[in-house]
Formats: sequence, C-alpha cells, structure tokens
Amino acid sequence: MKAGLAVRIGSLALRNPVLVASGIIGYGREYERLVALDRIGGIVTKTVTRHPRAGNPPPRVCETASGMLNSIGIENPGLAGFLEIKAPLLRDLPCAVIVSVEGEDVEEFRELVQGIDGSGIAHAIEVNISCPNVGPHGLRYSTDAGMAREVMGAIRPLTSLPLIAKLTPNVTRIGEIAEACEACGADAVSLVNTFIGMAVDSRSRKPILGTVLGGLSGPAIKPLALAKTWEVVQSVDIPVIGMGGITRPEDALEFLLLGATAIQVGTALFADPLLPEACVDGIASYLAEARASSIDEIIGSLEIPEGRGMIRAGRSERADREMAAAREGRAS
Amino acid sequence: MNLVSCTVFSNREVSRGNFLITLQVPRGFAKPQPGQFVHLRVSHEAEPLLRRPYSLEGFVDRAGIRAVRIYFSVVGRGSRILASQPKGRRLDLIGPLGVGFSPRPRRLPILIAGGRGVAPLLFLSRRLAERKRPYVFLFGARSRGELYGVREIRGGRVHLATDDGAVGFHGSVFELLKREWEEGSHSPLSAEVFTCGPHGLLHEVSDFARERGIRCEASLEGPMACAVGACRGCPVPLLATADGRRYPAMCVEGPVMDATAVDWSRLP
Repeated sequence: MKAGLAVRIGSLALRNPVLVASGIIGYGREYERLVALDRIGGIVTKTVTRHPRAGNPPPRVCETASGMLNSIGIENPGLAGFLEIKAPLLRDLPCAVIVSVEGEDVEEFRELVQGIDGSGIAHAIEVNISCPNVGPHGLRYSTDAGMAREVMGAIRPLTSLPLIAKLTPNVTRIGEIAEACEACGADAVSLVNTFIGMAVDSRSRKPILGTVLGGLSGPAIKPLALAKTWEVVQSVDIPVIGMGGITRPEDALEFLLLGATAIQVGTALFADPLLPEACVDGIASYLAEARASSIDEIIGSLEIPEGRGMIRAGRSERADREMAAAREGRAS
Repeated sequence: MNLVSCTVFSNREVSRGNFLITLQVPRGFAKPQPGQFVHLRVSHEAEPLLRRPYSLEGFVDRAGIRAVRIYFSVVGRGSRILASQPKGRRLDLIGPLGVGFSPRPRRLPILIAGGRGVAPLLFLSRRLAERKRPYVFLFGARSRGELYGVREIRGGRVHLATDDGAVGFHGSVFELLKREWEEGSHSPLSAEVFTCGPHGLLHEVSDFARERGIRCEASLEGPMACAVGACRGCPVPLLATADGRRYPAMCVEGPVMDATAVDWSRLP
C-alpha cells in the first residue's frame, strides 16, 4: 500500500510536504526544465514588495564552509510589475503557488495582500517579516512580537487565503514571535530565514559582500534551523514549515520528525535541482519502511528519551510549560 | 538548457596551474554558441556546496561523440577539485547557458584575450574560421607558457603580447589594440571588438570602444548561485547612461554583454 503524503497548511491541501523556498526558484519558470514541479508540493515565489527593487550592489553571493552568504536585497518588479509580468507565468504551474510578500510598513503589507489575493494566482501567501537584506525595516517585524502581531493582525481580515508568517532565526525567543503570529490568525509559520553572517577577505582587508552583512544558508545552518523549528513546534498549534540546510532527503525527514508539517528546500537546489523530487521519494520510502499508512504518523514522532535533559536556550514560557506537561503526562 | 550527466574524457595540465578538461555529454546536449557557459558540479561531495560556472573553450561533435572543453586555472576550492578529476569520472552540468558572442555580418571581428580569458575567444575564432571569415586575434598573457592555444588559431591574423616580453610585444595586450586600431585604419562601421580576460583589461577595452563608438562585447566572470536567472545573485552594474537603475543577471543576460554599458568601476 502506498502511504499518503498529502498535508494541509490551513485550507491549502498539498500533494506532499516538499516545497521550494522563496528566493530560490524565482517564479518557477526559470527552473521548469530542471525541477519536476508536477511532483512536488509547491513553490514559494521570490518576495514581492510594494515598489520595484533593483536589489543590492555586487557581490551578492559568497560561498562559505558548507554554506552560502547572500545579500540579494529582494530584487523584484514590485506589486504592479509582478501582477503584470510574473503572475501570468505562475498561473498554470503544476503545483501549489505560495506568493511571498514583504512591506516596509503595515500599509504596504495591506496593499500587497489585497493585490495578491485579488490576482487569483496564489494558493497561499507567505508573509516575509524576516528578510535580513532590506535595510532597517526588514527584520523589525519578526524580531519584535508586538510588531509581528501588528502586521499579521492588519492583514488577516483582508484575505481568506492561508497566511504563512516567515520567521527570522535572529532572535532570542523565536517561540514568542510564532505565538504572536498564531494569536493574530496566521495559518502557519515557516522558518528559518537566513542567519545574519559576514565574510572577510583578509588579503584586500574588505568584506566580501557588497552590503558587508548578509544571510547565511546551506547545510552549515541545519542544526541551528532544527533547534529553532523544534522550539517553534512546541510553542504553537498551527502547522510549522521547516527549512534551513536541507541537502538530502534525510534532512527533510528530520524536520518532519520533530514536528514540521512541511519543509522547504533552499540553497541546495542550486547544486542539485533534483533534490525536491528526491525528498518526495525519500519520504515515501521512509513511510513504506516504517509501514506507515500516512505521513501524519511520522510528523512529530520524534522520541525524546525519558530523563534526557534539555537546555532552555531561548524557549518561551509556554513551551516550557508544555514540555513539562508532556513529561508529566508520560510519567503518569 | 538541461541538467545532464557527463564523463571526464581527458583532463590535463597544459601549463603550470592551467588545465584543459574535456567532458563527454549526451548526444541530446544542445550545440553551444561561443561565449555560452555550463554550470558544473565539480564533485558529488557536499563540499564545495555550489556549482561553478565555466565558459566553454570549445565543443566537440564528431563520430557521434559530443563533448565540451573547459580551460581553467586553479584558483580556489572548486577548481582544485576539478583539476584532480580523473578520466572516466562522472560529473554533471547544466547547460548550455547564457548569451554568447554575436558577430555582425561584414564587420572585421577583433578578438582581445587576456590570460585564461582566451578560452571563449578560441571557441569564437574556430567558429569564424569555419565560416571562412577573416579576423584579428590579439592575445596577451603573463608569460610564454600561458599563451594557450595560439598554435591552433587558424584563419586569423594573430598578435601576441607577454608581460615579461618573452614572446611578442612586451607589455599589455591593450597596447596591441590601440596599435591595431590606428594602423589598421578600422572604423566602427568596418570592425568590432570581442574581449575576455581580467576585469581591468575589459574596463580599458570598453572605455576605448565607448570613446570611439566601436561595438564591443565582453565575456564577464563572477560568482553565481543558480545560473538560470532565478536567484539574482550575479548582478552586473550598468552605467547611468545605459540603464543604471537595473542590475541585469550575468547568467541570463550575459555572460557576454555590451561592454560599453557595463560600469566596470562597480563590478568587483
């Protein structure tokens, strides 16, 4: 028997939990000859902003040990340009289309959500409140629970599409930001965006990236991303979409086991365009080996051996309470 | 453009630190144009993470065998691993990618190469020779050993320069261009320039061309992540007089671009 791979993110049904992350696959068409879009759950588009953005000066990418720094700066044609040029390209893609948006203030987030909702091309909206590469505003909304609440609260009444809040890991207590998003009606949270990083050229005595700082992605961040995802799944009841350094199907499974409902493939796609499909196949064979009838039997099935101590780094109080309750439940 | 598996047919050090690798590709691999590139995974290990973009030195298509040739220098992690890949090793690449050179009819192509930048221009010169078109090939390198491929240039007039003066003109290949332009009585209507090499040389050549209204295409080099226009990681800064508010992606709007529109001072 073939196990069911379908998952739900709010009202969005995905044929399987494998997505491609924002900023990786453009608007889908760039990679359509390389990535089997008809076999994966969906894609998240390059982030759309209210006004066109030229992006940051070069160099924008720099390879690091098992990773990559980027400072792209959300180069995109703006909402009007997106609706005119990019939306038609997305319309007939054979997978779910999640449109990523980012505003500089609450009003821009409102306009973006209304514009994307009205276009009819999105199956869900990922609210990027976490890009490290767009000046002083980007990180503001997801490093402060109050501001995350302000944005999510403002856009929730404007659409019935599933809203996915994308979180930055560059905070002390990511669980509290996730809770704020959940409280304001987010259907899901996705994480992690990149970790802020830097590369220096000792010969020229200059930073390598044109913007000095950038966002770190790739396999180097996977253990960090797993820890943040672990914290968030214990803080909220809405679905969590995990990502950060997924390079092999086993990596995707690790996120699912600790409670992510879906995963996103990011940087590793550049090296291996067959990876999303390989993740689908890898998850399917894992379920077959485990004799699981559905992926629900796998999601969140991580076993924490009794008495295994856990450090408190950055967990919210609610997460602490729930973990304590879970331990008591197991003891009784 | 396709993702294809390829096999190392040969890989040899042609001069100190400079290699020529020939990679056999499937028969369905599209015939590349001079100036186009491939995005190569230099090994199947997790490190280094990213593919490497390599301009093609040539394309072999005979007796049912297709292969791409890459002339590269060992400059970092990726090229060091590529240099060590033995005959028979299977790798994979995405290609052919990007925009190649576009010589116009009835104009004399003047090719200007610096160092390993000679690779796509050798490819272009062979294509011109096949079409029995005359051309001028100006090639400068640090030393005799780095004047790669000179003896195979057919059908063109060749002038060489070396930094140490061992062969040809003692100095920069840019001086050869100035001399050729003055002594050859060329005009922007009768000749055009194709160049590849260090960005300093390309900067000089493009200033020279812009001042005289000469059509000039340069093949650019730089780090890339996706190489298919998706990630926007390889922006090319343009002059304000061109379209300075926009950053074309080197991978899809290049790597061969109108050199006179590029703002070389902002390109690392």
